[in-house]
Amino acid sequence: MPRSKTQRITRRNFLKLTAGAAAVGPFFVLTPNAFASGKTLNVAKWAHFLPEFDDWFINVVAAEWGKRNDTKVTVDVIPVEEIRERAFAEVTAGKGHDVFVFPWPPAEFHQHVIDHTGIYQTVAAKYGAIQQLAHRSTFSLSNKKYFAFADFWTPSPLHFYQDYWAQIGMPLGPVHFGGLLSGGTRLRDKLGIPCGLAFCPTLEGNVTLHSILYAHRALIFDSGGNLVFNKDVFAARAISLIHALCRESGTSEQLTWPSGGSVSAMLARKTSSTTNAISLLRAAEKQDPKVAGKMWIQPPLIGTSGMGVTALPHVTNCSVVWNFAQNEDGARQFIGDLIDTSRTGYEKSLGVNFPIYPKTVPDIIVRLSKDPQANPPSKYTALKDALHWTPNLGVPGYATPAYMEIFNTSVVPKMVARVAKGESAEDAAAAGAAEMQRIVDKWKQAG
Amino acid sequence: MVVETTVFNSGGRVIAAASPEEGFKVMKGMGKYASLFVTVLALVGLMFLTVPRAVAQQDGSPIGGDADDTFNPPPCDYNDQFYGDNGIDVTQLVGRFGDNNGTTRLTGPPARGNQKNYVADSTCNVKDPNRRNFRILATTGGNSDDNNSPFTCASGNGGPNCANQSFFEPETFEFISILAFVNSQNAFSNSYLRNVGFINGGLQGVQQNPGEDISIGQASLGESPAQTLRGFAMQDIVSNFEAYAALKQTTPQGFASNPCSLAMIKQLQNPNATSVPMPCFPVNDTVVNGQTVSDVATPNLRQDWRFATNRNAMDGSDNNDPVGAITGNVINAPFGYFCDDLLGMWIITYFWVTAPPNDPHCGPIYQSIGAKNGFNTDGTPIVLTAFELNTELEAQGCGAEAKEDLAGNDGGAVWLICPGIPDPRAGGISTDAFLDQVRNSNGIPQNLFLTANFLSLQIFGKFPNELTSKQQSQVRAAATSAATAAN
Repeated sequence: MPRSKTQRITRRNFLKLTAGAAAVGPFFVLTPNAFASGKTLNVAKWAHFLPEFDDWFINVVAAEWGKRNDTKVTVDVIPVEEIRERAFAEVTAGKGHDVFVFPWPPAEFHQHVIDHTGIYQTVAAKYGAIQQLAHRSTFSLSNKKYFAFADFWTPSPLHFYQDYWAQIGMPLGPVHFGGLLSGGTRLRDKLGIPCGLAFCPTLEGNVTLHSILYAHRALIFDSGGNLVFNKDVFAARAISLIHALCRESGTSEQLTWPSGGSVSAMLARKTSSTTNAISLLRAAEKQDPKVAGKMWIQPPLIGTSGMGVTALPHVTNCSVVWNFAQNEDGARQFIGDLIDTSRTGYEKSLGVNFPIYPKTVPDIIVRLSKDPQANPPSKYTALKDALHWTPNLGVPGYATPAYMEIFNTSVVPKMVARVAKGESAEDAAAAGAAEMQRIVDKWKQAG
Repeated sequence: MVVETTVFNSGGRVIAAASPEEGFKVMKGMGKYASLFVTVLALVGLMFLTVPRAVAQQDGSPIGGDADDTFNPPPCDYNDQFYGDNGIDVTQLVGRFGDNNGTTRLTGPPARGNQKNYVADSTCNVKDPNRRNFRILATTGGNSDDNNSPFTCASGNGGPNCANQSFFEPETFEFISILAFVNSQNAFSNSYLRNVGFINGGLQGVQQNPGEDISIGQASLGESPAQTLRGFAMQDIVSNFEAYAALKQTTPQGFASNPCSLAMIKQLQNPNATSVPMPCFPVNDTVVNGQTVSDVATPNLRQDWRFATNRNAMDGSDNNDPVGAITGNVINAPFGYFCDDLLGMWIITYFWVTAPPNDPHCGPIYQSIGAKNGFNTDGTPIVLTAFELNTELEAQGCGAEAKEDLAGNDGGAVWLICPGIPDPRAGGISTDAFLDQVRNSNGIPQNLFLTANFLSLQIFGKFPNELTSKQQSQVRAAATSAATAAN
């Protein structure tokens, strides 16, 4: 059976590309051994923020699955910022891995994947119905098929240093974006410590900015899938607010941080707050427990215009089987079987990976309330209702190809950057809307 | 925090929504009913009838001294212990009913004239041990914009009581008791511990019982500061319940298009603002005759409160799914009002119009909304729904909203402690209670439907659509009388 010719990356490059707290696991390929069937399964996955998870995924999940199924499994770990480019390379070539795992809904690739409905159906028999978050992240409205299979997601709570915020009379931290701006301004004026939300063209930057847009009713698409960005004042107002957050309470570095930059700044206590996956707090616990003790997490900030408490998922782990996969049957089985490992995966990710199927970790609430590493042990219980404040990318509709291209090409961070360079928020929003329209038109033509 | 279960279930309604607040269900305006109601009032204006007020009470014989005494009692203030159990430091409350030996806010807003806002009532603590003996008379009415109330009929497909829905109750009303105001984050306790149930019963130690701890932020128990073992901070719970306040925008200097708070202006109206445009409307408390008057006291409001309850139906009637699985287009919200927000707290969202009523761009929008709902004395429209505020006003740059500074720098109320009355029927609104509602400059209640709804509940213990035609006539007459008396 022909092997894929995807480019393998070196550990050095890998670490370089994923610098910061979003550390990565070792690049690893299972060494060939005797598989009587001669079957192979090639998997590509994004580099998890916690390298321990990828170590386990490669050395245990993939390895044991291979033994059970008489299949040689290879796993390529790819930096988050390279995932999309690598996936496009494979679909362009019409060959590559059998399974490709994305940290966000890969709707852009829906024409190059199999229908994953059967996998969901198989899993449903064992673990129940799919969550709305997963459904709207992996279902194609255009062809009524599932273009991916989601097995876990990561919430994006607010992280803040309680000792900093207490000094400006807000010991419980900000609750709404207005409080973040006004309190953050006072905090920076008093302590010289800026707020540290990521506004840069990275995964965390896009998640943060799209969350702020949504929290301020600056919708990109409506629930019917129509492009509505900048059709009212909300878009420009939200962009202005983001700019104000950066200018008055933040730092210009927010706009240019590389992947993991906001995490590094928080770990160094150079910023007072950010939103991120709890891999940030986990990194703090590992690096300096005293610092971790001062870092609190809480649900996201309240938006305006009736949008309530909301934040998009930092990660929506979505696996696809390419329609050119050499081992489609094996790939189908592999990603369906991943659900059986969700419980251990939750543990190996130190609680970062929230299961799509709640039955796989039925005691998650207990685990959150008695975390052995947290100080205090109940610190992570703030996440117990995370599913309630976490809509899917693409909300209030689905994760469509156009939405995901807008997300992945950093249209929103680019708008924010334009304002930082002196352009008005209205002009930046108009330019962003034009770019979004171009993307929408392109996908309409693609069908 | 103490856990209680929801008392009411409306029978399972499914709420579909495109966004957390707005939903598909937009309340019908009362406009199409207004003229009819006015006509009815005019017809029965002179027909005031004596009404048997005692019928609302459901305390069967014997009156007092038996188990049904505690059936649906009217609201009383919570006791200090219950505030503490729910994460609130009572020393930080502003204008708490009953404080200072029963003198704080005894009279004055929301009461008018010599009317008292509350009375001493020794049965409060008997009927509910979590209460203290001040029974609240001031019953604040407002609009629930979600139609999630089990008593909602405005959408035409409402709760179980809507079978005979008529023009008489076209809106969704909620009644609350504003017990106190919270002006800064410091009111939320970081740490609290109380043991419940400890027994030293003797018998050589046989009846020893260590009891249970109600705790907040106890590191020794593994709790994070300000959080319970459930992982909830009261502040986070309350963040899910927004009460919308509309302060008057007319000032001695003219119409004010923004609050006197730069931080509030920057939240939505103009994030680039560097100063407060004048004139502005105040958002801070004032002191009148030695009493602190909240910025959201009724005389400062241009319209009645609006409660955004469709993210969390107050009674769980939205089929909220805690697991988050697909069960139709259900909003899965984390908290229930009556089962998690035990103090009935709300975070206040102030909203205002951003242009004068005669503004060329916004004026027609105001007229359109006002044609449905009516107008405030200052010429701005009454806003009843999330759609009107968010989509018709704010999206067009004709309205804005904000919350006050969490550290208290704006000087007004950030949160309210104002529990909704779970069931306003059958004695939930006592015969000596009064309706706290916004009035026009001539003293007439701005929303007579609200008046009628309140009177129906107070007099007969029923919603208007549950009344007989004769009872309806009596309520109309009483409402007319109330309107006339206001003159």
